[in-house]
Amino acid sequence: MDKIRRTLLGQIAKLTAGAALVPLSSIAAAGINDQPARREGDPEKRYAMLIDLRACIGCQACTVSCHIENEAPLGSFRTIVSQYEVEHEETGNTATFMLPRLCNHCENPPCVPVCPVQATFQRKDGIVVVDNEACVGCAYCVQACPYDARFINEYTQTADKCTFCAHRLDVGLLPACVESCVGGARIIGDIRDPNSQISRMMKEHYNELMVLKPEMGTAPHVFYLGMDERFVSRPDAKPAIWDVRDQQGEEIGYEFSGH
Amino acid sequence: MNSAVIEVLAPRYGIAWYPWAVQYFFLIAISYSALLLTVPGLLFGKKNYESLAKVALLVTVSCTLVGPVALLADLHQPLRFWHFYANLTPWSWMSIGSLLLPVYLILVVAYAWLAWRPAMQVQAQGEGWIAKLSGWVSLGQWCAPRWMLVVAGLGALALSVGIMVYTGAEVAIVKARPLWNTHWLPVMFVLTGLVAAAGLVILINRLMTGNDQEVNEQSLKVIVVTMILSALVAALWISEGITGFSPSVEQAFASLQRNPEWRAVAIYGLLVGIALTLSAIAMLRRPGWIGRSWIAGLLAVHIGWTFRWMVLMEVQTVAKNTAGYYHYAIEAGSSGLMGIIGTFGLWLAALLIIDILVPWKKSLQASSH
Ligand code: SF4
Ligand code: SF4
Ligand code: SF4
Repeated sequence: MDKIRRTLLGQIAKLTAGAALVPLSSIAAAGINDQPARREGDPEKRYAMLIDLRACIGCQACTVSCHIENEAPLGSFRTIVSQYEVEHEETGNTATFMLPRLCNHCENPPCVPVCPVQATFQRKDGIVVVDNEACVGCAYCVQACPYDARFINEYTQTADKCTFCAHRLDVGLLPACVESCVGGARIIGDIRDPNSQISRMMKEHYNELMVLKPEMGTAPHVFYLGMDERFVSRPDAKPAIWDVRDQQGEEIGYEFSGH
Repeated sequence: MNSAVIEVLAPRYGIAWYPWAVQYFFLIAISYSALLLTVPGLLFGKKNYESLAKVALLVTVSCTLVGPVALLADLHQPLRFWHFYANLTPWSWMSIGSLLLPVYLILVVAYAWLAWRPAMQVQAQGEGWIAKLSGWVSLGQWCAPRWMLVVAGLGALALSVGIMVYTGAEVAIVKARPLWNTHWLPVMFVLTGLVAAAGLVILINRLMTGNDQEVNEQSLKVIVVTMILSALVAALWISEGITGFSPSVEQAFASLQRNPEWRAVAIYGLLVGIALTLSAIAMLRRPGWIGRSWIAGLLAVHIGWTFRWMVLMEVQTVAKNTAGYYHYAIEAGSSGLMGIIGTFGLWLAALLIIDILVPWKKSLQASSH
């Protein structure tokens, strides 16, 4: 992608991060593929996360603790930290860029209206969840999420995703990833409460905040501080995926190996 | 920003829709397209289209019956299918589809039943279990008035438009996949569906009804016209991407940049398309060649199926978030190869059972009046 486009995307990223703060008035169900009414959760709150990339050391403690807390199958992740090696073409200096990814609990989540049985829904506090008793496993929501934040859990055969650890938040605990974050990079909180840490930090860094793929119009509610514009959308990078293998040398974390 | 970026660590995301989805989209497209091919001969009662209508009716019924099975199999929780009806969700295209599909199926079956009934009633007069069964299936010897057939046919046609719209829209609204997110996709599904349906009609005509030249000619014409229209649509889609008229098509192109496999696919598609169009034209022009229409028929079916395979399976290997492409190797089990073979096997079984029980080659109700 050329430089001008990149900068432009960066600008949009900033703008959208700003626009997301203006709470959308609740949208009533009208046309096809419109957002349905929200249900459950505390209407007084709006949970969001701020990730201070300057503090992330790429240790994957969040990935591991989430995996344990939420019992995701091997190879499927509710959160993961992408790592990039950036080499300066002239000086040859290299730097590493870490990008924790998780569900963005979008204000306009495309995964919600597609669900044919209303199993995926957004709570009034903004958290997007799946009722896996109702889910038929059609995987339409997996297709619709622009962030690959969803997967079909091979144990339950239903859609699975990050819930901001709603089960922990509801009893006053922090999400597993936040609790275990070594760098203190992940900050979660209620952005309707002006005194919460996240609200204060968002106010302070308002102009530097960015979200992922703003061009999708999803209004993500995971905000990044210290973001590099080149990583906002699909990065123009050379893939060098390391295969994850188990003790027998079998590849794990790969689509058709496990079942 | 002169820098080279290497993605060191990223998970692999699997595909979420399996080859079952391709089978469903393929069969249902043939179903509504073949239904259209029955219209002049059966619904309008045009004599010179009656042979075409006979073959097309067999094709539409067999595909309509088997398609939904593949759809059900693509659910990870197929036994929960009743949730669709317990939680009506009018804002979801998939939910709308779940309402349209059973009604469509019933109307197509009713339409075919009414068309085949007079011949079944004659068959019921005979001896043996087939005659007995025909008697039961035709529900007595009373004469069904023609308006019943017309109503069922028009109803099935109306619903088929719903099926075309919902299957297309369901995929085309997914912004997350720019290669799907174009209003041309539903149009292309219908056009390639017609190509494949006409191709299948030619094949069945060759294998089961003695290669009727009129049927070959009419089907080849459908192929030529729809292939030219498909080329036009493809050209429009490409120009939307090049000019930036549609940002999502532009993104779609960007997502495939510098990928040699996708370039090969595009070239292959172009070549097969040209080969089919030219061979169909040649067969129409040279009287001696029309008997070999089955070659064009095979190509046409191949195009219809491969288009859906590329759109539904291969597009899922284009990473949304991360660099590069995922590798998709088709698995041997029920969600992969067995699924594909199984669906085709089921379709063949449906076709043969109908062939044994129904005297579908006899004249249809359309001409019995
Ligand atoms: S990130 Fe994906 S799964 Fe999460 S709310 Fe947005 S669209 Fe839905
Ligand atoms: S997989 Fe489950 S949650 Fe996702 S769209 Fe289908 S039914 Fe809804
Ligand atoms: S635990 Fe914190 S510091 Fe470690 S990778 Fe995750 S976000 Fe970064």
